[in-house]
Amino acid sequence: MLTIDKFSYLSKLRYINAAEKFSFAVITLILCVVSRSVCAAAITLFAAGFLTVYKGKIPLFRYLRYLAVPVVFLLFSTLAVFVNISRTPLDLFAVPVGSFYLTGSRAAAAEGIRLILTALAGVSCLYFLAFNTPMPDILNVLLKLHCPKLLIELMLLIYRFIFLLLDIASALSCAQASRLGNKDFRTSCRSFGSLLAVLLVLAMKRSNALYDAMESRCYDGTIRVLNETYPPRAGEIAAIIGFELLLAAAWLLEVYML
Amino acid sequence: MTVKQRKIVLASSIIALSFGIVPTVSAMHIMEGFLPPSHCILWGILCIPFLIAGFFSINRTRKEHRKTLLIFAMAGAYAFVLSALKIPSVTGSSSHMTGTGLGAILFGPAAVSILGLIVLIFQAVLLAHGGLTTLGANTFSMAIAGPLLTYGVYKLCQKMKMNRLVSIFLAAFLGDLFTYCVTSVQLAFSHPSEVGGMAASLAKFLGIFAVTQIPLAVIEGILTVIVIIGLESYAKSELKELGYLSR
Repeated sequence: MLTIDKFSYLSKLRYINAAEKFSFAVITLILCVVSRSVCAAAITLFAAGFLTVYKGKIPLFRYLRYLAVPVVFLLFSTLAVFVNISRTPLDLFAVPVGSFYLTGSRAAAAEGIRLILTALAGVSCLYFLAFNTPMPDILNVLLKLHCPKLLIELMLLIYRFIFLLLDIASALSCAQASRLGNKDFRTSCRSFGSLLAVLLVLAMKRSNALYDAMESRCYDGTIRVLNETYPPRAGEIAAIIGFELLLAAAWLLEVYML
Repeated sequence: MTVKQRKIVLASSIIALSFGIVPTVSAMHIMEGFLPPSHCILWGILCIPFLIAGFFSINRTRKEHRKTLLIFAMAGAYAFVLSALKIPSVTGSSSHMTGTGLGAILFGPAAVSILGLIVLIFQAVLLAHGGLTTLGANTFSMAIAGPLLTYGVYKLCQKMKMNRLVSIFLAAFLGDLFTYCVTSVQLAFSHPSEVGGMAASLAKFLGIFAVTQIPLAVIEGILTVIVIIGLESYAKSELKELGYLSR
């Protein structure tokens, strides 16, 4: 059910050192958001896509479909950014509605395009991390960054429980569907509600059983797990630094040219 | 058509299709990279006191009963799964619950702030809803503002001796609406309109997102009521464990 998670385990880039991937994604993301430069965003969009699809061997169409997930949000919000309602028409376009105009200016349109590109570049960075790094590796990086232990432990447990609950939920909804539980809107609302109620009951039962099992194996409040580590490689680090410098250069160039 | 033309048509229609498959109308997560950096930091800082309060509350209860950590974890996973399941909708587009209302009523607002943060991280990484730079803003609207209002309304209704189910509906419905208003304010604040400034921009964001968010809030309210009815009828002991009945 969680396609991204599945792909992150299949990715060819999975065994690259997780801290490298994490820092690449986060630094690039921050550079894109801070600079808001069209060049940097375009380079990032291409590079992250190339790494994920070509190097990581994530199917292209799946990747594109995931890129399209936030498109509704993006369209709605950019529309709100560059369509104005005003009594005086602006310079790019103006559609008269009664005594008002639906209108936009060139500056706002440029801003809208810049916004779309930056947002898409940001999403592609996020996807680079998500599609190529399994969650436990990310948690390991967070632990090294001195995130509070409690938080990491909760995340580890939650990550484990998500799959338990998704399994139960899919079995329940399959049972409901095979008994005409979704035949119209009313029934499907009722089925969904009872699914959630049963899910909570089963979740609590599972967590009680788990607690008993852990207690009987000397659980003392902390969970210790062994992690596989893959050493960072000098070449990869150099490539990351080079890429970030390239982005910064593109940004500076754009600032000076315009 | 030549073979080449046919190939081009096929390829372009596949690309169009892959974009055209109706993307999820999710709860209003602000997408990655949409906010300017100063706003990302600002909203993040605004979240910190609430997160610290939640952190200490979880830590304290964990010291008292070790089992509560597992219960909290299960609650977090539940909140995630809640937001990953498709809810019944009339239009055929797929939409999701925010689950903030249910979470706040069941687990209390302090725990929901931390759980909400974690759930939002998972949603960003596993479901592609929201993002890392906008984590602060999303946490503020969905894991802090919404649940706090829900909890407040719920308590107020209890004080006023309102019908339990009506008060749950109101709490969940208003909490959802409030989340949507806060998100609109965040968006308007970061992208003020050229004509009319922030107020005009706020009106535009509220207006555009109302199309999807108001029906969703009503559905979410109804579903929360149905879930609570179900829980009260056959999960009394589990609810006691969560502290819902004693509160």
